[in-house]
Amino acid sequence: MTAAVATLVIGLVLGYVGQRSRMCFVGGIRDFILVRDTSLLKGLAAFALTAWIAFPLAGVATGTRPLAIGLADAVTVALTIAGGFGVGYVSTLANGCPLRQHVLAAQGARSSMTYLVGFFAGAVVFHVWVSPALVRLLP
Amino acid sequence: MFSVSATQMGVVAGALAVAAGAFFDVRPPDAYGICMACHGRDLVNWTINAATGTHLAVAQASLVFPVLTTVGVLLGALVAASTSGEFRAWTPDHPVKTFFYGLLVMNFALIAGGCSIRLLLRAAAADAEGLVGFAAMAAGVTMGTLWLRWRASR
Repeated sequence: MTAAVATLVIGLVLGYVGQRSRMCFVGGIRDFILVRDTSLLKGLAAFALTAWIAFPLAGVATGTRPLAIGLADAVTVALTIAGGFGVGYVSTLANGCPLRQHVLAAQGARSSMTYLVGFFAGAVVFHVWVSPALVRLLP
Repeated sequence: MFSVSATQMGVVAGALAVAAGAFFDVRPPDAYGICMACHGRDLVNWTINAATGTHLAVAQASLVFPVLTTVGVLLGALVAASTSGEFRAWTPDHPVKTFFYGLLVMNFALIAGGCSIRLLLRAAAADAEGLVGFAAMAAGVTMGTLWLRWRASR
């Protein structure tokens, strides 16, 4: 219950500042390559830096130890690379990261609404067909 | 209406993402504070499970109640767009194409274990796979951008 309420509130804040700032987590890299515009890229760096500093601080505050560092098995790493590449490539073609698509859909972009329909249908497709197929095909 | 820079947005989102996991039970898994793909998956699968009694996978953080990031972001952006007069209905160029883009991004994100935001969040949490995934995502964005530029230049 705590997580549900917290994520709802966090989502509200994220959606609000996301709309005001036009932040996009793939747009920063795209804009830098296309027109050398660094405003969104700075947002990306600010997110990473803040989280990087905040994780150990939160760990101290809650008394949890940091994660043990170690790479998982080769199959998981290969899947992470393939999936990460796909996320980046298709998000660029779709003109925005998933967060940006949520924001655009909320401000009336119908193409982002059909994106979101596909997005949520994708979750079911993944767990009904893709995930079992991967489990069967991979060692 | 105050404007927000991307840098300010990044700081706010980074702090909230860490706080969600550390203080508000949005875990396990680790570094799960913000993820548009996994949280959307949790909400969709949880709702289908509750309605039809299926057992589609959800993260442990969403077993009892689903995380509601998706709903929050849509509402928050709707409020921001309406109060600033930026809400307007655009008609889609290619509804079928964007549908499949969404479907593909969700599947790739679930294979990688995070959308663009959570891959970066995992990298910031010193998760080696997160770093690998984010690097792969950056490579994907670069390739996608170069492809778009090449296509536009023909």
